[in-house]
Amino acid sequence: MNGVIAGISYRALLGRRRIWLLVLLPLVLLGLAVLLRWIGEAGEQAAVTLMQTFAIGTMLPLLGLIAGTGVIAPEIEDGTVVHLLSKPISRPVIARTKFVVAASLLALFGAVPTFAASYLLVGSESGIAYGFAAGALAGGVAYAAVFMLLGIITRHAVTIGIAYALVWEGVVGNFVPGARRFSIQQWAQTVADQVSSSAFLSTGITIGFAAVALLVVTIGAIVWAGHRLRGFSLTGDE
Amino acid sequence: MPDLPDDRDRPGTPDLPDDRNGFDTPSRPAGPPAGPGRTRERTAVPETPPAPSGAPSAAPAGVIHDIGYRHYDGVRLGRAHAAGALTLHTLRGVFGLGRPARSKIIPFALATIMMFPTVVSIGVMALIKRDPIISYTGYAVTMQVVLAIFLAAQSPYTVAPDLRFRVLPLYLSRPVRLLDYVGAKVAAMTAAMFLVLAVPLTVLFVGELVIDPPGPAHTSDYLTALAGAVVLAVTLSCLGVAIASFTPRRGLGVAAVIAFYLLTSAVSGALAAMLESVNDYTAAAWAWVINPFFLVDAAVQVGLLGAKASGPTTYPAGAGVVVTILAVVALIALSVTALILRYRKAASR
Repeated sequence: MNGVIAGISYRALLGRRRIWLLVLLPLVLLGLAVLLRWIGEAGEQAAVTLMQTFAIGTMLPLLGLIAGTGVIAPEIEDGTVVHLLSKPISRPVIARTKFVVAASLLALFGAVPTFAASYLLVGSESGIAYGFAAGALAGGVAYAAVFMLLGIITRHAVTIGIAYALVWEGVVGNFVPGARRFSIQQWAQTVADQVSSSAFLSTGITIGFAAVALLVVTIGAIVWAGHRLRGFSLTGDE
Repeated sequence: MPDLPDDRDRPGTPDLPDDRNGFDTPSRPAGPPAGPGRTRERTAVPETPPAPSGAPSAAPAGVIHDIGYRHYDGVRLGRAHAAGALTLHTLRGVFGLGRPARSKIIPFALATIMMFPTVVSIGVMALIKRDPIISYTGYAVTMQVVLAIFLAAQSPYTVAPDLRFRVLPLYLSRPVRLLDYVGAKVAAMTAAMFLVLAVPLTVLFVGELVIDPPGPAHTSDYLTALAGAVVLAVTLSCLGVAIASFTPRRGLGVAAVIAFYLLTSAVSGALAAMLESVNDYTAAAWAWVINPFFLVDAAVQVGLLGAKASGPTTYPAGAGVVVTILAVVALIALSVTALILRYRKAASR
């Protein structure tokens, strides 16, 4: 961890237009929760569906994409990353610091609103709120690591990340059940399922697999990101 | 002393230092070091007037020298041609033509994915002689995720680099006006979106005509789908380019455009599911059209041209059709206005 790099990364993410997207997504989730409650359909099933489709299925990958790539990709695009890399700071430390920044933002803008929205809907009933908060936190941390790595590897990180989140996790996962085993979103839901006792939430993956996969993917992505930064070559734009 | 480098230059490169010698020699104290005995054929001319041209003692600060470039006196092709060239250049760039190979991967991969249902349908038609398994009018709605990714991935390309490198004044110093610039960018993106959608439809239709499965050809369906594709391309491109133009960063632009699509589609789906669970199907129909793909389907293909709804349920009917059409027009007008205002500001910097 390096405090200065963390501070710069926070400022880059929160001080620009990026923050509007980071704020907008949780606001829509809370708005939907309020609306659902107002319509009078704030049952357990509705809460689980909203959390599955919107909080974990839509908001979390998008936040992961914005925060995960946002900590490093703009610097690479600008070329200002050379100033960072020329300092006598170990590159894996840079990668870890950037990851911690992205993961903390996902916790703040992803897990906390998820908890608030589900608590608004069902209170602490069958642990849904705690379950989805834990799931969003675990999934958000993994998304932050993977998308940060993607931002270092390629200049088209956001597009590839979206294609992964929408096509692989969304479309392919719906038709090919086997693809669900390799989806951060499904692992996050498995964590949520483990904590909550709701009958409406069930996933096809065991918690053992999901937990190990989350850990492996997160740590692997951070280590690989550090490794990539050690031999980083700055290529020209387009 | 000062003629040492001069001497070294001479044998190796007799041609190159020609220009420099002409510039250098007058500033030297006349001819003595060069000596009359040495061979100086080329530099002989500038040596004769040493004092006036070389010493910039009383020269004003800014002078434009006519250094003899030829003036252009050919035909000037004018504003329309410039705007057309900009459109074509942008359209090529959207598909990565004229850019490095890695810029071609994503647009062509997405365009290929758009062809999948067509290929499968043609195969099925050829094997078991039945109607296409995917309907013409439902093509865009079925493939909306791919279309949305294409829009998000490519519309920032049309606007972000020019904003980032602040080259807008360069464009505007030519006959191209601000409106031409904005129009060219939107037109190029529209053409790209239309191509991505219309090519699979056309291939499917040609395939159907060639294989000729039993029953009449779906000519009206195909034409309806093309009309829908035009409106969809215009709407989505205006929205995509407008959203992308608010940031000079391509990555953030991609994220913003896809966030717009995901938000509208997820909100529309969640709201519709909520309303259907309380049996309010009229309100649910309105909730579906929050999604821009369903909105255009409801307004054009279903509302104006009477096709079957491709959405999950029904769309608003009766006066609702007029409202959806107005909503499409308002969406386009709003995006174009935002785009023009954005560029007014960007151009004035």
